[in-house]
Amino acid sequence: MNFKGYRREDGSIGIRNKTLIIAVDECCDGIARNISEKVKDSVVLTNSYTCMLGGNEETFNQMIAVGKNPNVGGVLVIAMGCGSILPEQIAEPIAKIGKPVDILTCQKNGGTRRTIETGIQKLKTISDKINKTPREDVSIAELIVGVKCGGSDTSSGMASNPSAGNAIDKLIDAGGIGIGGELFELQGCQENLRRRAVSQEVFNKIDSLIEAERLRWSVEGTNVETMSIGNSVGGLTTIEEKSLGALYKMGTKPIKDILEINKYFIDKPKQSGFYLSETTMLCGGAGVNFASLGAQMVLWTSGAAGFNNPIIPVIRISGNEDLFNDDMDIDARGIMNGSDTVDNVGNNIIKKIIEVANGEKTQLEDLGSSTLTLYQKDQRLDKLLGNCKNR
Amino acid sequence: MKKKKIINKFSEKDEVMNRFSKKDEKDNVATALVDLGKNKEAHIYLSNGEHLTNIYSNEMIPHGNKIALNDINNGDKIYKYGEVIGVCTEDIKKGDLVHVHNVKSLTVDIPREFKKEIMRQIKVIQKEGEVNEL
Repeated sequence: MNFKGYRREDGSIGIRNKTLIIAVDECCDGIARNISEKVKDSVVLTNSYTCMLGGNEETFNQMIAVGKNPNVGGVLVIAMGCGSILPEQIAEPIAKIGKPVDILTCQKNGGTRRTIETGIQKLKTISDKINKTPREDVSIAELIVGVKCGGSDTSSGMASNPSAGNAIDKLIDAGGIGIGGELFELQGCQENLRRRAVSQEVFNKIDSLIEAERLRWSVEGTNVETMSIGNSVGGLTTIEEKSLGALYKMGTKPIKDILEINKYFIDKPKQSGFYLSETTMLCGGAGVNFASLGAQMVLWTSGAAGFNNPIIPVIRISGNEDLFNDDMDIDARGIMNGSDTVDNVGNNIIKKIIEVANGEKTQLEDLGSSTLTLYQKDQRLDKLLGNCKNR
Repeated sequence: MKKKKIINKFSEKDEVMNRFSKKDEKDNVATALVDLGKNKEAHIYLSNGEHLTNIYSNEMIPHGNKIALNDINNGDKIYKYGEVIGVCTEDIKKGDLVHVHNVKSLTVDIPREFKKEIMRQIKVIQKEGEVNEL
């Protein structure tokens, strides 16, 4: 099975050809968006945390990693000029893998108006250059697909999650890579994960990262719901039941490794198979997490809602009869009434994955995309909880 | 729209309408894919579409909730997806609703007040169902 993708200098394959503006500090977000308005297929990633480097290393790493995502053809890095993060520090590692990259500093460029003007020119130059990249035939084995759920309901565990899992298994059989995340929602799944981990070492890693995530979300004095009352009225009795339903979207293949996203490094999947990751359960942040891991698209299982990401297309799958609408790419409703099978819907998902990889837009592509949100684990909290290890 | 749904939900003519899903051989519960009334026949299907058996409900089983496929004793484990999803906190009869009132998590249990509220809301759903059934 083949599709037509964009081969990048480093050998990775993009399914979209976006230009990315990275605003290294939040105060140039407006400038970045003004520039983006004038250049087609450009998107903005803003570091909204702080313009300082201290404590901000996880987002720093992610900005570089998203710039390296194969769906991004070229990058413009902009900064105000008074912060600690120099645009060169972001631009250089991205340029190193062969992408057209440019930088712009507001202070050095004579202010906002001139920066926007220059930025538009610079971004257009990059855009013209990458628009010459042809689509070429590549194997489905080049695909890295993230899988995420949200707006979960009874149909999720019965229909959309098993279908996504079925497709992920098929993708891996064809040589591709699947990535799951949401460690917090794997409580109660340890038995299952133990069986799937390729080694004791990988299992230990999974276990300690799930525990670290549990600690982050269970600090005393806060009221974090593991399950909503709505979840339970809908029929979910325990966190184990909810987690196992969610786990279904991750298929049945061995877990090769866990991909960490932290202040020291961001892992990348290296060979065909299934990987767990530190991708957050929060939707907007999950899109950027998946992009930073190198995924080209995301399967999204849902009752009937969810985010849309402007860099990595989102394929939506739902089995909810009452809420199904034209946001959905894949109809899993038939599984609920017995008129369709998980295997058949899995095949439909694989077909859709190839179509979307080929350039066909998803139902919601370019419409109502969520902001590219940089999610960062709180460094101070992690230090207090003892989650920071020496590396 | 709601009226049409209720009619469909309680139609005894079409087997598909009383469909319950048993996910794994090991499971001692099946999930309702419809709202099922009290003393009605639940049609239990396996994931591959095979019809397994029919059992009678002892109470209403709202859509998405679970029915006991056999008697389960206090302290026994509840299996769904072939995995343990919790432990039984009182004797459950075949055909009973299996939920937070008779099962607890082995990991992070739901607070007591939440359980009461959940069952209150479910009873409201059950009552509505019964009213609509007439």
